[in-house]
Amino acid sequence: MSTPALEVSSLKKRFGGLPATRDVSLSVMPGERRLIIGPNGAGKTTLFNLITGDLTPDAGSVRLFGRELLQIPTQQRVHLGLARTYQILTLFPKETLCHNVVLALLGLDPMRWNVWTMLSAKRHLYDAAREALALVGLGASADRTVAETSYGERRRLEMAMALAQKPKVLLLDEPLAGLSQEERQQVRDLLGRVPRDVTIVMIEHDMDSALAFAERITLLHYGEVIVEGTRAEVVADPRTKEVYLGE
Amino acid sequence: MTRSFVALLVVAAALIAVPFVVVNEFYLNLASQILIYALLAVSLNLLVGYGGLVSLGHASFLGLTAYAATLLYNWGAGQVGAAIGAVVFSTLAGGLFGLLALRATGIGFLMITLALGQIVWGIAYRANNLTGGDNGLRYPARPHPFGLDIAGAPQFYWFTLAVFAIALFVIWRLTRSPFGAALQGARDQPRRMRMLGHNVWLIQWFAFVLASFWGSIAGLLYVYYNLFISPHAISLQQSAEVLLMAILGGATSFTGPIVGAVIITLVKNVVSSYVDRWNSLLGVIFVVVILFMPYGIVPGVRQLWARMRKPAKPAERAA
Repeated sequence: MSTPALEVSSLKKRFGGLPATRDVSLSVMPGERRLIIGPNGAGKTTLFNLITGDLTPDAGSVRLFGRELLQIPTQQRVHLGLARTYQILTLFPKETLCHNVVLALLGLDPMRWNVWTMLSAKRHLYDAAREALALVGLGASADRTVAETSYGERRRLEMAMALAQKPKVLLLDEPLAGLSQEERQQVRDLLGRVPRDVTIVMIEHDMDSALAFAERITLLHYGEVIVEGTRAEVVADPRTKEVYLGE
Repeated sequence: MTRSFVALLVVAAALIAVPFVVVNEFYLNLASQILIYALLAVSLNLLVGYGGLVSLGHASFLGLTAYAATLLYNWGAGQVGAAIGAVVFSTLAGGLFGLLALRATGIGFLMITLALGQIVWGIAYRANNLTGGDNGLRYPARPHPFGLDIAGAPQFYWFTLAVFAIALFVIWRLTRSPFGAALQGARDQPRRMRMLGHNVWLIQWFAFVLASFWGSIAGLLYVYYNLFISPHAISLQQSAEVLLMAILGGATSFTGPIVGAVIITLVKNVVSSYVDRWNSLLGVIFVVVILFMPYGIVPGVRQLWARMRKPAKPAERAA
């Protein structure tokens, strides 16, 4: 058996008296498409925050391709191949879409410490940014500012910024939330086109809209893994119906 | 691009011609002072405007450089040795101050820079043996850079203008550089920047060091101009005035702090000879500007200009 792309073991996090993550272990193989579902407050986003280092766990470990991440600061984890999108949009509203993606590309480029070159002269960065935007269907909007775009476009910009970094493990936090039917289909098509060497872990609150995407599903409830298995196994499991579909 | 380049040439020519028009030495020296404070304000604005880090201790770098240059010269380092040694010393101090101040952001950062500035001031004021205390220190004579005599007012003005122009160009490049983009990104969305692979802390610390370096260059010009340094030059009021220059002129624009430096230096030195309560006048100017142009003079005028050119378009909140 090869090394998992992402391995979380016995992860625990409490906010004061409230346990957000009780004891979560999961392991995602390279190239896998994993869906994490669970009702509100199940600890899905907290799990992502623990994986990226936005939050420090009380106990447990997070490994990326076998490498322990806990002592590594967030920005360093990104250099190791981790990328994520946010459920609550975290963009640069006054800048153009293109500039937003350029900031993502700069994050992995040693050129970000250059204080002398004109950024606007770095055509290759802007070309790569436009390419990433075209991939998510925003090619025509590259020069608009984020403030001028719709919610659906911003969601896709989040995706473009993460994809532009060519991550090995991509964490998507509710990428379909708030999108129209048509936009959802666009995002699903886009996810279908992501190369297989990228491992994708996706959180979705609405199970139906993401089911087709998932190969394996992890069901979280009150900070614990309740069910895990293939799509068919999880859907068929009575506990899934109990905590999730039955509500 | 070409139009702004022509405008730049006109401004440069006008600035070079100043000593031919302004023959009164008082006013010519005032022009040199404005340039020195404009450089100090522009360097501070790297932190305030571009980094979102409001510092109330920036005058300390002016002081650290001026004191260090004077002491080094008195200890026999020579003009060049004193200049380089003082700027290096002050920039290193900037590195240390940044290390301490960046433990916090926002108000915390402001309070730590305030405290550090007060410590520098306190040392200058109390360490009589070293700094001469309240009496200050005299810098013996202006240097002869590249063999040029800058003792006279016009010559010193041109020298200051040259240093100012080079500094401004380098800082302007920085604001348009990849690092400049990262600095502004770290100001707007620090959490996202981390998740994009940027080391936000290091970006801000590096900006702090660069700001203290350019502040030190201003300090060197300051001590050459006055040939004297005393605790008064690095008091809290001085740091506050520099910050005011940046905010009054418009911290979100590159040229704003220069405009702010012109206005405040003029009010302090010229208007004060006609108006006793010039500090109150400064306060009134500040209140009026912020009332009508919340982002400062330069962004405010730009907005007005844009509105006058195409009145049909509804007013947009410019950054």
